[in-house]
Amino acid sequence: MSNEYLHIGKNFVPPDIYGKVTGKARYAEDYSVDGMVYARLFTSPMPHARVRNIDASAALAMDGVLGILTADDVPAVEAPNAAILTNEPVYVGDPILAVAAVDEKTAENALKKIKVDLEPLPFVVDPLASLKPNGPSARTEGNVYPSEMQNLQWSAEDLNRFQQGEEPTGAAPTEWSYGDLEAGFDNAAVVIEESFVTTGYAHMSMEPRSVLSYWRGNKCYVHGSTQSQSFVVPFLAGMLGIEQGDLVYISEYCGGGFGSKISAYPVLGLPGYFAKKLNRPVMLRITREEEYYIGSARVGFQGWMKAGFAEDGRVTAVDLYIVQDLGPRRTGGDASSAGGAISILYQPQAMRLRDVPVFTNTTPRGAQRGPGQNQIAAIFEPMLDKAARELNLDRLAIRRINAPDSSATLNADQGPVTSAYMDDALALGGELFKWSERVQRSGQRRGSKVTGVAVGQGYHSAGASGFDGLVRITPDGKLHLHSGVGNLGTYSYASTTRAAAELLKCSWDNCVVHHGNSSLHLPWSSYQAGSNTMFTHTRANHVAAMDLLTKMKDIAAQTLGGDAADYDIADERVFKASDNTRSMSYAEVAAKAIELGGAYSGESYPEDIHEVTQRAVTGIAGSGLVGVAKDKLPKRGTAPGLAVAFCEIELDLETGKHQIIDYLAVGECGTIVHPQGLAGQLRGGAVWGFGMASLERHVYDPQNGLPANVGYYQTKPPTYLDVPSHMGWAAVDKADPDSPVGARGIGEPAMGCATAAVMCALSEALDGHLFNRTPVTPDMIINHISDGPQAASLMAINTF
Amino acid sequence: MEIVTVREDVWGREVLLGVSWDWLWVILALTFAAIVVHLLIMAVLRKQPRPSAAGKRLTRHDNFDRSFHWIMAISTLVLLFTGVLPIIGYDFNWLTIHWIAGLVLTGAVLLHVIRAVFFQDFGSMVVAPKDLKEPFEKGRKPGKYSLAQKGMHHAMTLLVLVVIGTGLVLFLQIDTPWWDRPNSLAESTLGWMFVLHGVSTLGLVGLTALHVYFALRPEKRFYTRSMISGWISEDEFSANHDPARWMPDETARS
Amino acid sequence: MAAHDVMPDIELFQPITVEDASAIAARLDGAGWILAGGQDTYGWLKDRAKHPGAMIDLAAIEGINGINATASGISIGAMTTLRDVMRDPLIAEKFPILTQAAGRVASPQIRNQGTLGGNVAQDTRCWYYRRGLSCYRAGGNICYADSPEGMNREHALFGASRCVAVSPSDTATALVAVDATMVIHREGREKRVPAEQFFIGPAINITHMTVLRPGDILTHVEIPNTWANTESYFEKVADRDVWDFALVSIAAVMKTSGGVIDDARIVCGAVECVPRRLRSVEQALRGKPRNEQTADAVAGLASGGARTLNHNQFKVPLMENLVRRALRT
Repeated sequence: MSNEYLHIGKNFVPPDIYGKVTGKARYAEDYSVDGMVYARLFTSPMPHARVRNIDASAALAMDGVLGILTADDVPAVEAPNAAILTNEPVYVGDPILAVAAVDEKTAENALKKIKVDLEPLPFVVDPLASLKPNGPSARTEGNVYPSEMQNLQWSAEDLNRFQQGEEPTGAAPTEWSYGDLEAGFDNAAVVIEESFVTTGYAHMSMEPRSVLSYWRGNKCYVHGSTQSQSFVVPFLAGMLGIEQGDLVYISEYCGGGFGSKISAYPVLGLPGYFAKKLNRPVMLRITREEEYYIGSARVGFQGWMKAGFAEDGRVTAVDLYIVQDLGPRRTGGDASSAGGAISILYQPQAMRLRDVPVFTNTTPRGAQRGPGQNQIAAIFEPMLDKAARELNLDRLAIRRINAPDSSATLNADQGPVTSAYMDDALALGGELFKWSERVQRSGQRRGSKVTGVAVGQGYHSAGASGFDGLVRITPDGKLHLHSGVGNLGTYSYASTTRAAAELLKCSWDNCVVHHGNSSLHLPWSSYQAGSNTMFTHTRANHVAAMDLLTKMKDIAAQTLGGDAADYDIADERVFKASDNTRSMSYAEVAAKAIELGGAYSGESYPEDIHEVTQRAVTGIAGSGLVGVAKDKLPKRGTAPGLAVAFCEIELDLETGKHQIIDYLAVGECGTIVHPQGLAGQLRGGAVWGFGMASLERHVYDPQNGLPANVGYYQTKPPTYLDVPSHMGWAAVDKADPDSPVGARGIGEPAMGCATAAVMCALSEALDGHLFNRTPVTPDMIINHISDGPQAASLMAINTF
Repeated sequence: MEIVTVREDVWGREVLLGVSWDWLWVILALTFAAIVVHLLIMAVLRKQPRPSAAGKRLTRHDNFDRSFHWIMAISTLVLLFTGVLPIIGYDFNWLTIHWIAGLVLTGAVLLHVIRAVFFQDFGSMVVAPKDLKEPFEKGRKPGKYSLAQKGMHHAMTLLVLVVIGTGLVLFLQIDTPWWDRPNSLAESTLGWMFVLHGVSTLGLVGLTALHVYFALRPEKRFYTRSMISGWISEDEFSANHDPARWMPDETARS
Repeated sequence: MAAHDVMPDIELFQPITVEDASAIAARLDGAGWILAGGQDTYGWLKDRAKHPGAMIDLAAIEGINGINATASGISIGAMTTLRDVMRDPLIAEKFPILTQAAGRVASPQIRNQGTLGGNVAQDTRCWYYRRGLSCYRAGGNICYADSPEGMNREHALFGASRCVAVSPSDTATALVAVDATMVIHREGREKRVPAEQFFIGPAINITHMTVLRPGDILTHVEIPNTWANTESYFEKVADRDVWDFALVSIAAVMKTSGGVIDDARIVCGAVECVPRRLRSVEQALRGKPRNEQTADAVAGLASGGARTLNHNQFKVPLMENLVRRALRT
């Protein structure tokens, strides 16, 4: 991985590491301000209800209780958007009101004295129960959400077919397709048809989304926990009904979000309203259990898929039908993303996606690492193996023959990609994992244990454009890297800024990264989700650094004579290429920029930068040489994040338990920017993927809508003994032409490939049996081996 | 003291849990007090000469009725003890004995009701207007059953029918050799069942205690004997009953 | 809805003698909560699903912590941490299944804090009950887990009497297998209860899982030498390998001579409200060699009488498989 770069491809110590390892890092909950009071939530005990009356008199009469905040105190929102508080709770745990007191215990005790009279409304925890004739609707406004509220019920026959796993006939409100599906199946040598279920499960952020808010005049200060930083500002300001400039948003650390803390989630606005009402700073600590209610979960799938394969293994056609378990709120891109993932990973000649997005009274759903892509990876990849077995093809070979390259197309519009080298990843992984050797022992039994060797693939679009970069050199010679990127745990807030340091040939010791607090003059940023940050913000940092470099050369030319084009940089000096004695240090250039003013020092700025960036530039104007720009670099298509995983498992047929003996992930994400960060993504994603494949639990009692999963031990994320002690990683490390440093993102496919690999390995160990369901748990394996019926009916969801 | 206890249902709403078992002690105390008061009154009152058990024996209860009575009595006592002892802290495997005894009682009551309504002198247990004069007219004698006996029987009937009815509903909610429990009764309905079952149990505790007390009283003991061996003497009959209203047969043996 | 995670006000007693602890507990009756390692306690209290008025912390009591060899076996103080049980060489030598069972409890952090006494006396993990619902076990009149569509994958196959919760303790199965005696301080006297009788099912008492009553302090667990150094087997199958409760566990000890089983005690966890002795298997084993054929012949006896619920059918073959594994050499 050695290269000509100064920073790119090199490890570094991200500045937040010190705080994390010493415990000095301050999360939202760690802040305290004078006069701060504590709020606690009263959440719905019913899965769907209407508030008839709230009697808080007994609570308000208690010593130390300061007040309550109800849905009437916060802006109403249109269904199915999420309100801060609601009078029509739509899931168990939906916040109805908050109470504040001088300390948390008093607030907690006050909750018990508040009488909320609730009228139960019809509820549903399985989408299929809502689609049956006269089935209940999870929301009074409708039961499906293709992009607007609608009511949809299938006939009993449609439902019955679907529940039996047969080709669906029920109406699907959303559909896209390309190519000639019929011809695709006609040309297929093998057609695989399977129904499937993937359970949605909690995001499980380690840091519950606690929030502190207070007001100073018109300014509202919010300490929160979000994956993104600048991206949150307009949404949170809008939620609070204030100007963006009146919001100070601080989220220096985020103890995990995983898609559930991308932007301003409802409860982030609650203490702001409460603080205003009480005229006191308000801290709202969220408990672990509450985090399971309001902290979101993955969208669940109940689906059916038919895939055709030519003699050589090429995918000829895919017909995909998905009923989405949306929970009770607006969401639902997972099905289309699942279709998109199939369209790129296997390049089918024809494809159709039909989607039935159904509300349920379960925890709100949201994007979770690889939303859609990873669910479908868990299902399609074992189907691909089944096709390979039927065609007598090697399972790695069938992937290679379908692997996307830079001419790949994807999605309904069959748009292009920036680049793709999936075959390289498969080949590299196959070689490092010794595939051809190890695959020989797949299916072999020793005692009660069977070996499964498998390969899985993952995909997510991994890069956006059009965001802003902001860099600055101050008269002390420091390069200030202003990062609007949130600190979601990937270090991308810092690693992306290294693209600017790289361009400016500045030593990392002389760089200062500003992040995590909107008052630190942070530029507009994409959200930190969707694997996009690495691509998006290396570009944004690059263009800002380019702007700074241009200005630096201008200043040098103005000061030292000649033309800007005559100047070059090295060792933190700008010098005339033809005469390097004529040079200025960065410090001197910065001082000169202040003197010159205008665009040089940020007194003026390009018109096309975002409002957030404009305020950031204004804030630092006059303090040094400022580089600021919007990313308008060319981007010829979707930047794909691709990953391949290889694993070997041992499945014990007597206990249903499996052990992952070895694991290797290969990233195909362009140039490696931060090796340790990439390794962390590939391994961390794998752990999560293992969880999705066989552990993570999402159980609802259909009789009363209660969730069983309200604590870590109940939700069962993998522990350190559930993952292999060594997990290998590698990367193709081929530059993407549309990234100035060649990088694309990797976060989500890092998980999807692991889920797929384990699902395939389990199938391998069981003579190719497909469970077509995530997670595959020991009880399912034991039931299968003992020829017993599975406990959950074929298409039931939220049963584990 | 609460009459009933409440709990929260699955959604946190208040629903009935059952009767407050503190009342068990109240009922026992009241019953004991009533017995003491009765004992005192009876001690103060002059003792009436007791009719002789000798002489001709007249049939008061035939074999069937006596068998039913004792089956009902034993099953009721078993039900009371198996139901109440765990509540007051004696742990044992009570439920199976309880529901078996409950089925026995149900069967006995059912047969008794059928027999009494269709095959016996049902009117003998009906409280007629003239019965109400009994306590006020000295010398007025009842037919086969005194007003007090009818009152005791009817109170017992009511309580037993309620306890059986609710007991059967609760029985349907548990595992038996014949079915796996559905466990599907609405929580509020379940609460009502437990309250009624509990209230009738409390009533039965008191009534049973009183019934046993009276059965053991010297002047009533011949009735207890008649429930064991079936007969009363002619003397006992004429001292306590109006031949115009009840004329028993002579027993086969004397 | 319960989502508290806020410790309520509670009185704390820290007695230094068992007698005082017992007297305080007796005086407080049901309002006193015996605190050992706290690993089960704080969840209940912070969830505000149980409302004791006071905690009686046993940590300062001398003499109920530590492992000692006695003339007839081993005595383990109830306050001995699971970590100490797991690492004790004497236990490892004589009763390796207890070492293994203690080592499979929860996670290292919990084993460092949790005690043997707490592990055997802990409450069930039925998720409905843990939610704080007023079910039978919580003094109510309904079982939510065993209802037409109840989610009861982890629940009981045997001995369900209205409540279908199972024993969650890993060490309990091992202690019943080695025929341990639970030493209880009750009203100033020492009461000794065989481990097998220490645990009680819902038919006997639906709100308690052990014979312990207010005022009782479990002080020691004594393991007689009867089953010391015999052949043994322990296995716990759980979804996760750390911090999870058993789907089914097995603890078996066998006395053999010349490869033939003279006597055996085989106990399954997480299939009943109490650790379940597999007596029919034990009987069938006597006089048979410990091998695959015997395993196959007797495994089916393990699940005799099982009554499955909606989601726990898998426990039947899993139990049988664990018996097979225990009997293989």
